[in-house]
Order: sequence, then C-alpha cells, then structure tokens
Amino acid sequence: MTGTDRRSRRQLALMLTPYLVGLVGLVLLPAAVTLVLAFTEYDLLRPPRWVGLGNFAALLDDPVFRVSLTNSLVFALVAVPLRMLFALGLALLLHRRAVGVGSARTAAVLPTAVPEIAYGLLWLWLLNPLYGPVNQLLRTGGENGLTALGRTPPQWLTDPTDARAAIIMMSLFTIGETFVVLLAARRALPRDVYEMAAIEDATGWDVFRRVTLPLMAPALGLLAVRDAIQSLHFSFVPAFVVTDGGPPPYATTYLSLFVYRTGFEYLRYGYAAAATLVMILLTVAAVLVQWRLIRRYRAFYRL
Amino acid sequence: MSDPGLALAGVSAAYRGATVLHEVDLTVARGELLVVLGPSGAGKSTVLRVVAGLEPVTAGRVRIAGRDVTAERPGRRNVSMVFQSYALFPHLSVAENIAFGLEVRDTPRAAARERARAAAETVGCAGLLDRRPAQLSGGERQRVALARALVREPDVFLLDEPLSNLDQALRVQMRAELRALHDRLGATMVHVTHDQTEALVLADRIAVLRDGRIEQVGTPDEIWRTPATTFVARFVGSPAMNLLPADGPLRPDGAVVPGANQDGTQIGFRPEAVALDAAEGAAATVERVEVVGEDAYAYLALDGGHRIVARVPAARRPGRGAAVRVGVRWADAHVFHAGSGRRYVP
Repeated sequence: MTGTDRRSRRQLALMLTPYLVGLVGLVLLPAAVTLVLAFTEYDLLRPPRWVGLGNFAALLDDPVFRVSLTNSLVFALVAVPLRMLFALGLALLLHRRAVGVGSARTAAVLPTAVPEIAYGLLWLWLLNPLYGPVNQLLRTGGENGLTALGRTPPQWLTDPTDARAAIIMMSLFTIGETFVVLLAARRALPRDVYEMAAIEDATGWDVFRRVTLPLMAPALGLLAVRDAIQSLHFSFVPAFVVTDGGPPPYATTYLSLFVYRTGFEYLRYGYAAAATLVMILLTVAAVLVQWRLIRRYRAFYRL
Repeated sequence: MSDPGLALAGVSAAYRGATVLHEVDLTVARGELLVVLGPSGAGKSTVLRVVAGLEPVTAGRVRIAGRDVTAERPGRRNVSMVFQSYALFPHLSVAENIAFGLEVRDTPRAAARERARAAAETVGCAGLLDRRPAQLSGGERQRVALARALVREPDVFLLDEPLSNLDQALRVQMRAELRALHDRLGATMVHVTHDQTEALVLADRIAVLRDGRIEQVGTPDEIWRTPATTFVARFVGSPAMNLLPADGPLRPDGAVVPGANQDGTQIGFRPEAVALDAAEGAAATVERVEVVGEDAYAYLALDGGHRIVARVPAARRPGRGAAVRVGVRWADAHVFHAGSGRRYVP
C-alpha cells in the first residue's frame, strides 16, 4: 500500500467517524438494546428480568394495546389515502405557471415547516369548541350554537370519533414534502403525451385517468409507502399535544403514544420495547406488501 | 374532390409575444405528401401545431378537407400526429397504445383492438402487439407511433420530424417505408424535417420555410433546379450552392446566362458545375479538400477573397495549396437579385 493510499484511507476513516459513532451509539445500540429488552421486564430501578415471550403474550391480551393498534391502522388507512389525494390535487392545481401560483405553492408547504409542537398548539386553538375558528365557521348561519343545518357542531376534543377526525384533519395539511415531490413529478411529464391526448380528443377526466395518473403512479406508489411508514410517527405529536390520547379512555391513543406512555410514564421499558418491536414488524410488513405491488407495476415504466 | 386536403390562408402565429409564422399560405392536395423543410427555428413545427390546433393562430384560417377548423379544438379536427419522441405510453401495451385514440372516443373495446391489429399489420408491427414500449427498439417504436396515427383514418397526417431519432441506416429504410405507406393509403400528409435529403426523396412537394415565412413551394425537382431565392438555393444541396456577385472573378457571358451581366445580381452554381482544369479559367488556390467516398470537395479561394466549392472525382482531386484554373458550366447557373435574394426572371 502506498503512502497516499494509506493517508486517504485515514482521512476517510476520520471523516466517517462522527457519523459512525452517532449511528452506532444513537441508533444501532439502542435498537439492539430494545430488541433484548423486549424479552425482559425492566423498570430502570431493578435489573432487567428475562421473561421470554411474556411481554408479547401480555400485549395480545392488553385491551389498551389493541385499541392503539386499531387506532393506528385506521389512522393509516384513512389519513394516508386522503393525504395523497390532497397532495396530488394541490400538485395538479399548482403545476402550471400563473399569477399567484408561487405564493400558493409556498402556502402548501408552509404547515410542514412549522415545528410540530407549535402546529399542535395552533390546532388546539383552532379546534376549541367555544371560541375556535373552525366551529365558529361551522356555526355561521345557525342559532343557539348550532350549525346552519341545526346540528351540534363537532366536539373535536371531547367526542371520540370527532377527535380521531380532528387528528386526521391536522395531518392533511402537513403534506409539504409529498406535494413538492408530486409537483416535480408532474412537471417532469412530457408535453407531447398531453398534446397527443388532446389530438385524440381526451379531455378532463379522461386525461387524468388515462395519462396523468398512470404516468405518476410510480411516484405516487413510493410516496404512499413512505407516508404509511411515517403515519406511525406523525400521529404522535397531535395525539400528545392536542388530544392527550383521549377523549378517555383511549380514542386517539396510537401505537407511538402507547409506547411512549408505557415506557416513559409507567416505566415498563421491557413492555414498551416489545410494543415497539411489533410496531416495526407492522411497518416492515406494510412496506413489503406495497413494495411488491409497486415492483409489479414499475416493470412497465423503464423506457 | 374540389376541396384541398389542407389549406392555410394567411396564417400567423405567435409564441411568447414573438411572431413565429407570418401570413403563411399553403395548400396540400388530397393524397399529397407535402414536406415542410427549413432550418431550426424556422417555424416548421409551428405549422404542424397550428394545423393540429395545439397552437392558436393570431390571424388567418385553417381548413381541413374543406372544413374551417380554425376555432375547433385539436380533438375535433380529425388529424393525427406522429411526434418526434413518439409519445407512447410506457404503461400500455403496443395494442393499447395504438387503440388509445379509439378508446378515448368510446369505440367498443373489441372493435378498437381489431382496428389496432389491422393498423399494426399495415405498418408491419403486428408481432409486437403484446409488448411494452420499453421492450421495443427505436424503429419499432416509430412503427407503433405510425400505427396509432393511422388507426383512426384521419383527414390529415402530421409528422413532426419522425425519423430524426433513428440511426442513419434505419432512417433511410423508414423513409422508403413511409413513402410506400403514403402511396398505399393515399393519405394527405404533412411531414416536417430539417433534412434536405429526406425532403427531396419523400415529398410530392416541398415547402421551404425560413423565419416563419414560406420561401418557395414546389416539387423536389423545382426546388432543386429553379430555387426561388438564394436561401433555398443554399439550404438545399450539400455543400451549398456557390454564390458570387455578378461583377466578381467569374463572369459568365450574358448571352448564356440571362441577367448575369447586369448590376445588382448574384450568380449561383452548384459544386457539380465547377471544373478545375479549364484552359482559360480564373486562377484559384485550393484551401481544403474533403473526400467523401468517390467524390471530393475542393474549397477554393478566388482572387478578391471570394470562396467557392467544387466537386471533383476523388481520384483526380488536387492537393492542398495547388493552383488551379476554375471553369464553370454556365448552363446550370442561377441568377438572383443581390438585394432581395429572389430569382432573376428575364
């Protein structure tokens, strides 16, 4: 080995060190510890005690865990398609050059840039049943605090169904990244294909269904996978800040919040680790299923 | 049959505020193959796009098969277009790509598939119907794009440089096939290209376009033998036609070339008309020689800084720096007005 080689290798090692230390110390080690802890009982005070699959058996019987699991799945099944639809709609609306489009694009991305806690606090105000702008808007035209249709406005923070809807609603505006990628994907579509469609007299819905949607499908698929994974995370802050996992007992307790509570509030680290493992396995399963779908579809797109 | 297949009358078009077509008049007879020829940026594609309705006109009328379609949207003009990029859908099979226009127009699926198959047979890609565009070569994609264009039996076919993405050998082959296809279908076609050979080989008539104006419309023979302007004269032919002022170093006899000895004219002659061994010709120096197979092109410097090109047999080409005596076969010369560039008609 020449001196230059050795020196460049040393430089490489030196520059990689901070990253590797961080990766090992902050990700890999805790992950390994979590993996082990999942098979123990551990409360920070006494040393961990091996319980085998006991935690997982307990999870199966834990009604709170089952509620959290259902909540998370329902959230993903409803919020992810809605978020994709919302982002796609905005991207298709704002991909052309026109007056005001620049500001509109900025507005579409802005909620994603707001710190999560601040975003949560903002919604706490927006959704306030008495003076919150959302319900004030819904009450316009109505009397005695009812909506124009004579209904009671939604009780965002106290009714279980309304609260779940509120969390989904909150998630619909933090689509900045999906929006930006879809915007770029739409703008990258060739113009000729649209002109060909125009010559063949395809209009409106036909163009969307036969041209735009299939050509954007690869991007949409990838983003949906990403969003499904992320949905386990971005349901945490709203549920933590706005609804506190409630209304009681567990209307908006999602898996992430369940893990947080079990670990950091009830100090059942082993149990929380087991729940985390289940969460990760779920994510992996979801990704695999979607990945297979995308792979089958994507084979056609290599041109 | 009195109505032409396509007629543009005083058509102007603008792109981002700049006028790219200036009052273009153009008539294409039914069953004619017209080639629009011109350099990049001449507005060739704009002519097609105006016919297809993809670009609005700022003035003038467009008539297709006797019907004024100036205000119609593209889908209502009954034209079809082959794009330079072919514009095939990657997610659809060849059969589905060809049937696209039919299915958009609610043709029953079985009928659409049958017509797609027939169209594919016409252009010789029936064996590819189940493939995807990604699995096709450039020439095969070209055929699929053609099949899609003719499946609907439109009034006018518009072809936007369809051969430019093919390699040389394939281009020559597809050129011949395109011509054969046209003769078989008897279809009205407008074909845009910047390739003069393609234009000369393919066309019934050629329209030479320059800066959004039509310089000349004529048969390939007319374009070659009686170019209407110096632009046409120099754009068609390679190397380009030599142009010298009438009072330059080579002066033809006014009796042989009418108008050549008048003031304010230019004389044009192709490299083929130049001989290097004239007994009493003008003196010239050979600056550069290019050999292309059997032919050689000698680039010559005449007295007074004028430059011309001569085509000579490669076997008898002069060396660089050689002194030669230049003679011109004046019977093949053209005379143009120096100012307007228009052909001199005595």
